Amino acid sequence: MESLLQAVVQTNSRVAIIDITGVPTVDTLVAQHLLKTITAARLMGADCIISGVRPQIAQTIVHLGIDLAGVITKAKLSDAFALALQRSGQVVTKVNGGNGAGKRTLLRREE
Amino acid sequence: MERIPILRMGQFLLVTIQVDMHDRLALQLQDDLTEKISECSSRGVLIDISTLEIVDSFIGRMLANIAAMARVLDAETVVVGMQPAVAITLVELGMSLSGVRTALNVETGMELLYELRGDFHSEMGG
Repeated sequence: MESLLQAVVQTNSRVAIIDITGVPTVDTLVAQHLLKTITAARLMGADCIISGVRPQIAQTIVHLGIDLAGVITKAKLSDAFALALQRSGQVVTKVNGGNGAGKRTLLRREE
Repeated sequence: MERIPILRMGQFLLVTIQVDMHDRLALQLQDDLTEKISECSSRGVLIDISTLEIVDSFIGRMLANIAAMARVLDAETVVVGMQPAVAITLVELGMSLSGVRTALNVETGMELLYELRGDFHSEMGG
């Protein structure tokens, strides 16, 4: 929790993505801690997005009666990242040409 | 008696808390701020608590109260610059300040206020 909040301050971030793809199980303590972290980040002015929730974890969360109503959840990290970009007014576009250098992406800030 | 200065900036009020908050000071601020909002007919209040290191449940409740009072007086409240330790303390105290808007620093806080008061800009533009 502390390290995320410190990072938010250091990098001036407006959005924090918490990807829990690698988390095998979630119990009440973990979920509670996650909620606390999200609330603390909100208090500091950063929005949190949770991504990578496994089906089993989703079931566990609901069975445990944990309320994630006020929390943004996305299926994949890429979805969360897309939302974060959208929130910060940025888009990812493909650059055409580039003589076979493969797909390249460009971050561009919208005016 | 010591007071926390309230600065007027156009349609908004700026409060920067730079001393340790004790209960009486908090109540004084609550009084002064509500008076000032109606006096200046302000549309927004920005409270900077970046130098505040210790927050207890009383101060937390005061922040929530100020936001609620300001809303009744037709002003939005944004609390900016909360330190990680303070945020953790408030969460552990069970205070999520759900009615209070927050931002990372004064700059983003002002942006948020202007965003919230978009109607004001369109009025001025039109």
